[in-house]
Parts: sequence; C-alpha cells; structure tokens
Amino acid sequence: MTDIDANVSAGAAKGAALSVRNLVKQYANADRRVLDDVSFDVPKGRVLVVVGPSGSGKSTLLRTIAGLEPIQGGQIALEGKVIETGKPGSEKDGRSARSSELRTHIGMVFQSYDLFPNKTVLGNIMMAPLLVQKRDKAEVEREALELLGKVGLADRKDSWPHELSGGQRQRIAICRALILHPEVLLFDEITAALDPEMVREVLDVVIGLAQAGQTMVIVTHEMRFARAIADEIIMLEDGHIVEQSTDPERFFTEPETERARQFLRTFEFERASHDQQ
Amino acid sequence: MFDWSFVQRYAPFFVKGMEMTLFISVIGIVLALVVGLICAGVELAKVPVARQIVRVYIEISRNTPLLVQLYFLFFGLPKLGVVWSAETCAIVGLGFLGGSYMAEAMRAGLQAVPEVQRETAYVLGFTPLQSITRVVLPQAVSGAIPGIVANVIFLFKESSVVSAIALADVMYMAKDLIGMYYNTYESLAMLIVSYLIVLLPISLIGTWLERRFDYARR
Amino acid sequence: MQGAEILLLPGVMPRLLQGLWVTVWIAAVSVIVSVPVGLLVGWLMTLKNPVVRVLMRIYLDFIRIMPQLALLFLAYYGFARWFDWNLDATGACVLVFILWGGAELGDLVRGALQSIPEIQAESAYVLGLTGWQSFVHVILPQALRRLLPASVNLATRIVKTTSLAVLLGVVEVIKVGQQIIDANRFQYPDGTLWIYGVIFFMYFIVCWPLSIVARRLEKRWAND
Repeated sequence: MTDIDANVSAGAAKGAALSVRNLVKQYANADRRVLDDVSFDVPKGRVLVVVGPSGSGKSTLLRTIAGLEPIQGGQIALEGKVIETGKPGSEKDGRSARSSELRTHIGMVFQSYDLFPNKTVLGNIMMAPLLVQKRDKAEVEREALELLGKVGLADRKDSWPHELSGGQRQRIAICRALILHPEVLLFDEITAALDPEMVREVLDVVIGLAQAGQTMVIVTHEMRFARAIADEIIMLEDGHIVEQSTDPERFFTEPETERARQFLRTFEFERASHDQQ
Repeated sequence: MFDWSFVQRYAPFFVKGMEMTLFISVIGIVLALVVGLICAGVELAKVPVARQIVRVYIEISRNTPLLVQLYFLFFGLPKLGVVWSAETCAIVGLGFLGGSYMAEAMRAGLQAVPEVQRETAYVLGFTPLQSITRVVLPQAVSGAIPGIVANVIFLFKESSVVSAIALADVMYMAKDLIGMYYNTYESLAMLIVSYLIVLLPISLIGTWLERRFDYARR
Repeated sequence: MQGAEILLLPGVMPRLLQGLWVTVWIAAVSVIVSVPVGLLVGWLMTLKNPVVRVLMRIYLDFIRIMPQLALLFLAYYGFARWFDWNLDATGACVLVFILWGGAELGDLVRGALQSIPEIQAESAYVLGLTGWQSFVHVILPQALRRLLPASVNLATRIVKTTSLAVLLGVVEVIKVGQQIIDANRFQYPDGTLWIYGVIFFMYFIVCWPLSIVARRLEKRWAND
C-alpha cells in the first residue's frame, strides 16, 4: 500500500472513493474558467449530489472525472490513487489517455441517446465486460440477466433500443454501467430528457443502488429526489462551489448562503403555483 | 404501327448492350466505393497533405460533367502518352466521378453518429479501435447506406454517357438502330425497357437495404 | 508544353466562351422555368386526390429512374414522331431539363411543405387567417428557406447535364471545342488535350461557385 499512499495527493481524505482537489477546467480561447478550484471527497458508499443553475459547470465536472475532458489544474484521485493531474495548456487536448481498465472503474450514464442502437438490450450490457474485461460469456450473461431483473426489464433482454421507452433505456444504461462493478458511478441529469411519468421508474433504481452502498455522484434538477438520496451535497455556480454540506436536510431547509437560498426558492415558487391550481 | 418483328430481331442487341452497361457500371461503382472509402478514411484520420488533395479532388470531381471527364481521358490523355481503351476510360471516369459522391455519403454517415456514442464507448473502457469498429462504424454504415444506394443508381444512369466514346452500351444500340432503320418507336421502347429491367430491381434492393440497416426502424 | 499555343490562336477563346454562353443559357432557362413547374408539381403531390397522386408518382419515378441521356433521346427522336412536334435539339434539351428539374424540385417542394409542422397551420387558423393567407404568409416562406439550398444544388446538376446537349448536336461549348480541334488537327495535333482541358476548367468555374453557395445556405439554414 505504500506506493499507492505516496500517490495520494496532499489533503485527500483517507477512505474516500473519489477525491477532487483544486480542480480547474478551462476551454481554449476562453477567459472564464468553467470550473475553478473545486475540491470535495466522496466517501465510499456515499452519494454526492451536485446541484446548481444551468451553465454552472455540473456536467463538466462529471465529464472531467470520467476523463472525457482534460483538466488544467488540480487532481482527481480514485481510492487514494491519483488518476488525473491538471496540466496548464491542455485546453485543446482530447479525452484523457487513461487506460481502458481504469475507465471501467468509473461508470457514467448520460442524459440520453447513449444506448448503442445497433445492439440489443443484452448486447449493450454485455459488450464492455466481454470486450474490455474479457470475462467469461456465460457468467456475464447470467449477471446481465440478474441486473435486468433488478430493474424490472428481464422480459426485454432481446429488444432493440428503439423499441424501448426513454425510462427503460435509462434503466438499461444503468445496468450497462453496473455490470463493470465501478467504484464510482456518475449520473449526468439522467432524467432530464424523460417524460415526467418515466422519471420515477429511473429514480427508484438509483435509490435502490444507494441503499446497496454504491458510491455515486449525481447531477440532477429533481430537488425532491436530491433531498431524498443525498448523503452530501454541493452547489455549484459559475464554476465555484457556493455551498458544500454533509447535511443535505439542513441544506434544503436552512441553507447557509444567500445564493443557495435564492436557488432553492426558484423550485419552491414552481411548486407553490402548482398548489394554487 | 408498332413493329414487333423488329423488336424480336433486335432485342439481342440490347441484351448485348446491357452486358456492356452492366460491365462498365459494376466495375466503375466498385472503383468509386474504393476511392470513396479511401477519401473518407483520409478525412476521418485527418492525414495532413492527403487531406488537402482529397478536398481538391472532391471539388473537381463533383463540379465537372462525366462527359467532359471522359472526353479528356479518351481524347486528351493520349497526347500525354497515356493511351487507355474506351472501357478503361469509362471505368476510370465513373470511378473518378463516383468516388467523391461515395466519400460524401460515407462522411455523412460518420457525422450522423452522435458524439455521446463515442463518449459512452470511452467511459465503458473500449479501446479507440474497439470504439470505431464496434460502435461508430456499424452506425455509420446505417447512416451512409441511403446515400450509397442513391449513388449506385446515379452512377448506373451516368454510365449511359459512355456511348459517347463509342462503347456499345444500351444507349449506343438505340442510337445506332434509330440511325440505321428509323424504327424510332421500337428502339426507344427497348431502350426504356432495358433500363427499367435493371434499375427497378436495383432501386427495390436499395430500399430493402436501407430498411435492413436502419436500426431505428428495424 | 507543346500544343498550348492553340489556345492563343485568334478567335479560339472567344468562340469557346460563346459556346459556354450557350451552355449557361440552356441551363439558366431550364432552372428558371423549373422553379414554377417544381412548385406546381410539389403542390400537386401534397393533394389528397388519388388520381393526381398516382400520376405524379409515375411522372416522378419515371424521370428519376431513366438516365438523362435516354430522356433526351426520347424527347428528340420520340416526340417528333409521336406528336409531330418539330423539336430542335436545343428545344429538346430545355424541355427535358425542365421536366427533370420540375420533378426533382417538385419532390423537394413536397418534402419542404410536409416538413412544416402542422402546428404552424393550426396557429394561423386559430389567428383567423384564411387558407390562402396561411399558405402564402406562413407555410410557403418557411418551405422556401428549406428549398433554396437544394435548388442551387439542382442548378449545378443541370449545368453539368447540359453537357449532354452535344450528343444531340447542339452547338455548345463542347461542340465548339470539337470544331476547333478538327480545324487545327494537322497544325496542332496536341490541341485535343488543351481544348478539353479548358472546357473541363470552364465547367468547374461555373459549377464550383454554385456548390459553395449551396453549401453555405445549407449550413446556415440547416437547423431552423
């Protein structure tokens, strides 16, 4: 363990599944930083929810953790091991050169359209374990069916993505990420593109995962869901952390900053106007 | 009025002509597919100098008529010491013309694959090669098929121009018979029927292929 | 390079340019007349009347599946006999290009008209516009925006196809080139290369800007 410990960035909390330290993200030809000095830890088995207005950098944060965008400063560590170090001047670089194997340790589900349309449900789920992890086919199929059963879609194993509803697709995308046994799962507004009546079936799956002890980072606009699932919460605005709390109940009822209060009020106004109808 | 005996007598000419039409078109189309694939590959991989050459080629090929390309190959090139048979000129001409159209169709297919598909492949740990062969290409093919099918039909029709460099295709037969016997009706009817017999099935197969590869409709 | 002097002979370039003018003229007339024909055909294709629909379908499919050269032969040799029309070669070309351009444009018009969301017509209706007002002020302007890039593309194709006119004996740029080559066969045996090279270049110079315009329009209007 010593060589791994040597890798731990200064100040990363022990026992954290994911540590982000002083992360800076900047695009080429842009003065403003999309993410500026963002630091947090996600302890193993806990759920971090990231909220904030649109354009605050929430999605970008997840994308840098997944290696989809290079970072210009700071560090990202997975289970104490540094996997990404910021390099100034890397604005135009493409995706991180991290290994295939490492990528399977961080799962990600996107807003929509990420099932492979040329594969069946089972084909989608089994592709990565077979191609990347080189696991045994029979074993992978057994696990895939088990996962499908858990999300209530066992009967759709041979369907094509276009035959499924948005909610079903997202549940399958979650299975596809889960089968790799990632240390951390990233959810980027996975219900934002769904019809309202399908949101519930997807969020129920996520709540089940939280209860099973899956470490997750969730970006969402569903405030009631956030309140129900969060162990820790971060509010981002303009690339900065405005408020950070390990007591979500408190954040949602008595936020410390004026900015967070304003932000949360926008949701309440919506609800109040609904109640009057 | 309509002379059936003329049709009976000269139908074999059209069969012969269609053999020539098919021969030139099929090889020309295969050549066009190869050229198109190379061009699309060069553009996809962003190969430095080759990329500019491909751009220039595509512009020239798309903005000049096949007939002029053929005349240049058949009558012009021999003055530079390059003497090709009419068949070779016709095939090279079709390949030169069709290559750019095929390249565009293939590029359109590639561009139709959403970025999130590549991102998903990356996050799932696929190597770049796996991402291209397992995720991007299968979808790109489905996006490119309608364009490729349209180009096949287009090139097949364009092949009618090779009669201008004295290749005895269907078109040439029709012109010949009209010129020799003045049996205009019968010759034109046989001309139309010849093209319909070949192009209708191609167009039906094309529609079937489009369905077969359309993942959103299958 | 030997033989290039042929291009400098008095009268050669002016004659080629005159030939090019004939080519461009045939293409321009065809494109201009194709537009109203295409609008009419496109509108007819959106009608519910089954007879009109079938007729339009046959017209469109036949024009599309036949090589343009075969259509030119039909018009030039066939129409003269069937209808006792004395179409000269230029007339046959213009007729075929109009029928062809009208069919292609018609299909584009149909696609453009059908791509306008129903809600647009419904909004116009609710606002009290008449059917005709709704078509002229709401539907048509939106359809035309989608139509323009494809129409410019079609113009490029018609210009290129005009080259086939030489095969019916129209004295356009290629024919003029052939006459020049023949007249100087012994003096400039290598003239073939240069004359065809220049014709090649001329077509490119006419078509290329059109392609660029079409691409620009497509890019700008693709998403709205």
